Amino acid sequence: MKRAIELNINGDTHELLVAPNHTLLEVLREKLGLMGTKRGCDLGACGACTVLIDGEAYLSCLMLAVDAMGKEIITIEGLAAGGDLHPLQNAFIAQGALQCGFCTPGMILTAEAILNEDEDPTEDEIKKKMAGNLCRCTGYKKIVEAIMAVNEAG
Amino acid sequence: MRLPKFDYFEPKDINEAVSILQNEPAARILAGGTDLLVNMKHRVECPPVVVNIKRLADLNYIRQDNGDIRIGALTPLKEIYMTAPVKDNLPGLAQAASAVGSYHHQVMGTLGGNICQQNRCKFFNQSQWWRRSRPTCFKAGGEICHVVNKKEICYSTYCGDLAPALLTLNAAIRVAGNGGEREISLKELFTGNGIAPLNLDGAEILTEIVIPRVSTKGFLIYMKFANRASIDFPIVGTAFWASTDQNKYRVAFTAVDRKPLRALNIEACLQDKELNDENITEACDLAAKEAKPVKTSVYSASYKRKMMGLLLRSAAEKTQSRLSRK
Repeated sequence: MKRAIELNINGDTHELLVAPNHTLLEVLREKLGLMGTKRGCDLGACGACTVLIDGEAYLSCLMLAVDAMGKEIITIEGLAAGGDLHPLQNAFIAQGALQCGFCTPGMILTAEAILNEDEDPTEDEIKKKMAGNLCRCTGYKKIVEAIMAVNEAG
Repeated sequence: MRLPKFDYFEPKDINEAVSILQNEPAARILAGGTDLLVNMKHRVECPPVVVNIKRLADLNYIRQDNGDIRIGALTPLKEIYMTAPVKDNLPGLAQAASAVGSYHHQVMGTLGGNICQQNRCKFFNQSQWWRRSRPTCFKAGGEICHVVNKKEICYSTYCGDLAPALLTLNAAIRVAGNGGEREISLKELFTGNGIAPLNLDGAEILTEIVIPRVSTKGFLIYMKFANRASIDFPIVGTAFWASTDQNKYRVAFTAVDRKPLRALNIEACLQDKELNDENITEACDLAAKEAKPVKTSVYSASYKRKMMGLLLRSAAEKTQSRLSRK
């Protein structure tokens, strides 16, 4: 049976009618049209569907939408405040850290969670925590460099 | 991949959760979701009812109580390796928690969920489409185990990272059920039956993990070999615990049998001895005989047996070097 829920996404409250077996990923993409959150493996192994929930990196393909009620959800669409790109977005562009762009939203949101949690992570810590986000184009070097650049800029 | 349909409950306290589970014997408990929801997407588990216990109050904590370390079952794995009582006193347990899956799994996954994860097998953890090419395996509801080609037996492998570490710490668990709470050793939780790996009745919920004070005084190391170190389940994992002063040792393996195993012959071989090259070699020679792995992953049983000895040697040598520095 469908349930009426309220989700706080990118600062807006959405009233939705969802079935318990709908994942947060499905609701973001199919009910709200927030296509920035990507469906990759859909099994929690690639990181493409990463969103921020209360500031932490969550796999939206493995989270029930009904379970996300009462939490603050940020997707890639909500990261650029007031139309200005987030420093991580600028750094990815400046460093050439994307090619096809499919993994980029997940990469940037995971990086944001890492930098939120640790004020000055080492390169090795960044690499270890980013390892759950797969990219088939860039080879990761430039992605790590972009995150390090934001970290160093404070 | 859509999830199958199910009825959904979100109990507010443990009594309500137990009562729902009592009325719904086929229900499954949802905590972090990183194991159950994947299996549901693969249609190897299709519970009619899912009970989300994440909103239960007071099951997310790490505290010290008379020297014992008590960890709530809903504590995220990330908290285990980032919070002082474990990070400072049991770096080996922190290491095991940080070895689970990827960073996201550590954020979402819980200690209780990691311990209670389903057994794994290359014929079970596959999509419905992949599995359609052969008869359904016994664990997924069919008749045959494709690993050993026998009927009505399941050789799926337990692949948790935390359980071997906790076994060497002699951890106990608290379980809430219809008759109140009970405490059992972690070892008793595992049945060794691939179909029903946990010794819990349908209405019981793991609530707490208790690590005794004496175990916190030792040195623990967890080592794991996985296909991709960044995300995969262990192909073989070993935990090695040594007391800091009395030459006492405990060893456990994961991913080599239907349950996590204490390596009792290795422990007996090392007991009351200094760790030196000769003793370590003698112990490592026993490793291959401590379990009878079968080919539930892409790695052969003989490869796993060799890897058990290699990981044990590596863990023992690191412990030797650590103890010599104290």
